Amino acid sequence: MTPIDLTVNGERRTVPVGDDDLLLDVLRELGHTSVREGCGVGACGACTVLADGHSVSSCLARAVRYDGVAITTADGLPTDDDVVEEFVAARAMQCGYCIPGFVLMGHELLAENPDATAAEIDAHLEGNICRCGTYLEIRTALQNVVARRRHDDMARRRHDDMAKESA
Amino acid sequence: MTATLHRPRDLGAALDLLADAGDPMVYGGGTAVQILLKQGVLFASDLVDIAGVPGLADLAATPGGLRAGTMVTLRRMETDPLVQDRAPLLAQVYGRVANPRVRNTASVGGNIAHGDYRLDPPTALLVLDARIELSSSAGPRHVPIREFFTGFQETAVRRGEMVTAIDVPTQPLGGAAFTKLSSLAANDWPAASAAVLVTASATGGREVRIGLGALAPTPVYVAVPVPADASADDAVDAALAAAEPLIDPLPDVRGGVAHKRRLGRVAVADATRAAWADTPRDTPREEVPDDRRLTLRRLRRRH
Amino acid sequence: MTVDSHSGVSAVGTDGGAVGERWARVDARAKVRGELRYAADEALRSCLDVVVTRSTRPHAVIESIDATRATQVDGVVDVVTGAELHAILGDAIFTGPAFADQPCLAVGKVRYVGEPVAAVIARGHAAARAGAEEVAVDYRELEPIHDVDAAVLGAPFVHDELRPSVVFGDLAHLHGIRDTNVNYEYVLRHGEPAAPPPGSTTVQHEFWCPPTHHVPIELPFTAAWRDGERLEILSTTQTPSYVRQSVADLLGIPLGKVRVRSAPLGGSFGAKMYDRLEPLAAALAWTRRTAVRIAVTREEAFLLTTRHGAAVTGSMTADADGTIVAADADVRYDTGAYADVGPRITAKSGMVASGPYKIAQAHVRSRCVYTNKPSAGPFRGFGVPQVTWSHESLVDELARVRGEDPAAFRRRNLLREGDVSVVGTPMHSADFVGCLDAVTAALDWDSPIERPTGRYRRGRGVAVGIKAVLTPTISNAVLQLNQDASATLLISTVDMGQGSDTIMAQIAAESLCLPEGSVRVVTADTDVTPYDTITAGSRSTYHSGNAVRKAADAMRDKLIDIAAARFGVPATDVKLTGDGLVSTQTQETASIPELLHGHFGARGTTLTSEAEFRTQWQPYDKQTGRSPQVTEHWFAGAAAAQLTVDTMTGRVHVEHLAIAGDVGRAINPALVEQQLTGAAVMGLGHALFDQMVFDEGQIVNGTLLDYQLPSIHDVPDKITPIVVENPHRTGPYGAKGVGETTIIPLAPAIANAVRDAVGIRFTRLPLTSERILDALSEEDS
Repeated sequence: MTPIDLTVNGERRTVPVGDDDLLLDVLRELGHTSVREGCGVGACGACTVLADGHSVSSCLARAVRYDGVAITTADGLPTDDDVVEEFVAARAMQCGYCIPGFVLMGHELLAENPDATAAEIDAHLEGNICRCGTYLEIRTALQNVVARRRHDDMARRRHDDMAKESA
Repeated sequence: MTATLHRPRDLGAALDLLADAGDPMVYGGGTAVQILLKQGVLFASDLVDIAGVPGLADLAATPGGLRAGTMVTLRRMETDPLVQDRAPLLAQVYGRVANPRVRNTASVGGNIAHGDYRLDPPTALLVLDARIELSSSAGPRHVPIREFFTGFQETAVRRGEMVTAIDVPTQPLGGAAFTKLSSLAANDWPAASAAVLVTASATGGREVRIGLGALAPTPVYVAVPVPADASADDAVDAALAAAEPLIDPLPDVRGGVAHKRRLGRVAVADATRAAWADTPRDTPREEVPDDRRLTLRRLRRRH
Repeated sequence: MTVDSHSGVSAVGTDGGAVGERWARVDARAKVRGELRYAADEALRSCLDVVVTRSTRPHAVIESIDATRATQVDGVVDVVTGAELHAILGDAIFTGPAFADQPCLAVGKVRYVGEPVAAVIARGHAAARAGAEEVAVDYRELEPIHDVDAAVLGAPFVHDELRPSVVFGDLAHLHGIRDTNVNYEYVLRHGEPAAPPPGSTTVQHEFWCPPTHHVPIELPFTAAWRDGERLEILSTTQTPSYVRQSVADLLGIPLGKVRVRSAPLGGSFGAKMYDRLEPLAAALAWTRRTAVRIAVTREEAFLLTTRHGAAVTGSMTADADGTIVAADADVRYDTGAYADVGPRITAKSGMVASGPYKIAQAHVRSRCVYTNKPSAGPFRGFGVPQVTWSHESLVDELARVRGEDPAAFRRRNLLREGDVSVVGTPMHSADFVGCLDAVTAALDWDSPIERPTGRYRRGRGVAVGIKAVLTPTISNAVLQLNQDASATLLISTVDMGQGSDTIMAQIAAESLCLPEGSVRVVTADTDVTPYDTITAGSRSTYHSGNAVRKAADAMRDKLIDIAAARFGVPATDVKLTGDGLVSTQTQETASIPELLHGHFGARGTTLTSEAEFRTQWQPYDKQTGRSPQVTEHWFAGAAAAQLTVDTMTGRVHVEHLAIAGDVGRAINPALVEQQLTGAAVMGLGHALFDQMVFDEGQIVNGTLLDYQLPSIHDVPDKITPIVVENPHRTGPYGAKGVGETTIIPLAPAIANAVRDAVGIRFTRLPLTSERILDALSEEDS
């Protein structure tokens, strides 16, 4: 067993892992059961986590590789997370099993590309399977995040401008 | 069977392991190796994890193009401004591999060392005439990508060697396009893919370079000269005539030989037509000054 | 998405503010954040892991099993074979919902590649897996049979004799029959066969639907352990009540000694029901006196159950006036090595194999056939999509051959309210015409579309579907009202994404005028929640919903009685409103908490009500296959598609898909739309690429790298789900179920649109690019 330094959702801890241990199993044992196996071959996205902000299929990732890396799981997102809020509002879930993976893919995309179009959203989600067929709601939810952040940004800028003027 | 994992901290140690272990395999991004392990079809005795070897994930400009270390991720090849600028076709093709999670993890070296005939990146590397750096404890050697794929799931990588870098020449002026056709679900492996690059040739004509994926036991390459004033239809006919002898598909659940052959023709035709249409009449040869070349190339970017 | 309510809705006395509302799913936020706990997420007592060694032969006698090397693997505790379990459990080891033919570990013979042969019990999954690879099995090969039509004809036989289960009395006559692979045959005879009238038109085709897999993204999981002389099971199952009985029978222990818990399911679609991992887990936990856990991989999940491949030879005749006068269907369902519920599917689908049309003469022969493949069982649609593929292709072709608009032709021949179907049961709350009109209107059917003549060809197609609800069945509900006016609902319906927990909360809240969020639905647990036949076949909204409504109405009556006593008025003068109990006579009011505190004189109490709901049928006549009440109610749906075909690549691109279902009454329109849409997306996969491919009994594409599922790139540009409402006279607030309605007509709607676009009739699913290009080039030559 090798001790690795893993920061999960901002909480840093030392975790002993075996060479063959998968990040998926290590995270689930730490209680992060939002990370789930669906196919075991990186093709469905149910086991998605963010590693230093980049999406990873944890079912194909050896935990020893993630020494010193910051991991984000869906269950560790802030309580007022805007992507979560918009998924809830758009009813972007049926059985819900795959949804945390979609939420994290959405986070990665919008961090890189805040103005993502519908086509860019689709391209980023092409490797995530929702067998219940909730794709249209999921796309809508992410489009709504784009609009919401744009709106919040403009409001913030207006507020800053007004603050400057009054100063 | 569990393979022993080694985590060398420098290249020398990694190459020594490859030289000395019983049946070693390089563990790069790990996506393909993990799948093979899970399917019980990986028979390596030792896995040499090269993530801790410094320098292997460097991506840098070179006088003639760019150099990607073996551990550069596919996603970085897709998104890095250097690749988008010097080899936009390559960036586009890397962006079509599997899905973003695989691209975040898989490495450029592992991708080609895997030797899968269906991979997207080799099609672009072939038309761009990339050069593969292979290293062993005896030192490095270089193999043109066009000689790299030697047979079904076989490459020029010898025992004790590993891919350490890929050198890619700056994309020549002219149009370029990539067509990937799946025969089942849209995000499936391709049943046929083609990268096409149209360049100005020394004789004043043009050369249509074609890299094919999923259409033969290995990725394959061919180039054909076409007069600059040829029509798009003529260019497509010439490309098809050149490509057809290379098309030798393997039948599987994605289609039989005849079907993949048909799709191969469509991929070649569509990519050639798009690349030809995107090649300006006055495409100059390579000797133009760097600044002008950059301006022109941006016109050729398609994202 | 576009949404509109099509038919007029008669209000069935709803003023409780819950029914018809778009309440959020009760677990919406937990699902998005990944905090909802599925079965494998629960913290359990320490369990040993089980991995099975699987047969590498499609049909063979097990000569010997050598577990020596397996037991030497570090961590392996025990290796168990079918012979050992058979010695302990006897023939009870053979289980199944219709036929008791499937052992949890092969006994004597293997019948498909992938059948469990030995179970390795170990500390840790990796050790169990390593052990399973070391079990050596010596086989004597038998000739396998892979093709369903070859299996109909005769030897080799998959089973020596038929073993119908004791559950269904009407199968008893099949017991002990030998030398056949046909384990069940349903025949429908309606009307007198006659020569086609002058000027009539007949179309006839051979159709094929391949086997497919459900692929719920949550993998199957079962844990089992002994608790003294009781057995406890936690499992991914749609059928906890069934599993309890099945396991009790398997172990020969009283039903009351078995506790089965389910959990929210990460999708199922029929995959996680009846006997899956539970018999093996139960047998090992019970006989080895240990706690075990079975978590299968995706590759193993493909071997657990499949959707029946089906061949249909069908014909349809219309007279000179365009009235359908005759229909014929010969259906062969490939049920694989074990019958599972295949015989039930064979009958239920056979009775609708000629479609929702008024037809003077119909003949159906529907057979369930063993082959050496993984067992086929229930899958969203219960065999009906396979026969709908036939009748909706035939009726479409008949219209086209006659030169008639396919929608108009159907409209003239469709069954209407009160009409009696060929099976003898009348129609009610099944508005086929309304569904057809809704989807064609959404596509602006009567306006011509642009039809390019180059590489891309555009076309439109439509199809309708009919299915009967599972009958007879029973549902129970227990409702507990707490002193704060919150309620706890005990039912054994399993929420697997269809949203039943939300629907049932709304039905309970409606009677009691409770607000959103006040009704908690308890997850199925046979120690706690009452019997429910199964969560399947779109039956829950109607059956469990009726039980819940009755329980809630009883609770309301209790409250009114208590209030009447408090107010000193007759019960008829008391109303329950959102503000509590009100006397219409004195205007006196009391909130529910006030009422309960006052009446019971205690700080807390629980008021309990319970109800049962049952449906009855009249078994179909053995000779004619007909019955005046073969089902409690019918599902009616329609789909219409506009698409393009790329004649160079053979790819189909769906531009607009409209789907409609008559749901009686939508308890929650938002959830209904999601079911309509989700079933359509799944059906689109079946239409275009989704199939299991076998080679000599071996699955060729049994991983998600190869098996094809619709991704976000495969969904249509636009989907229009349309809720059609013709309230059912005995549905809760008029409601019926909806989970399967739109998967049924989906594939033929797509194929009919392809026919419209390129002029070719496809009879084999799926419509892969290869199949389309092959047909186009044949057309050319």
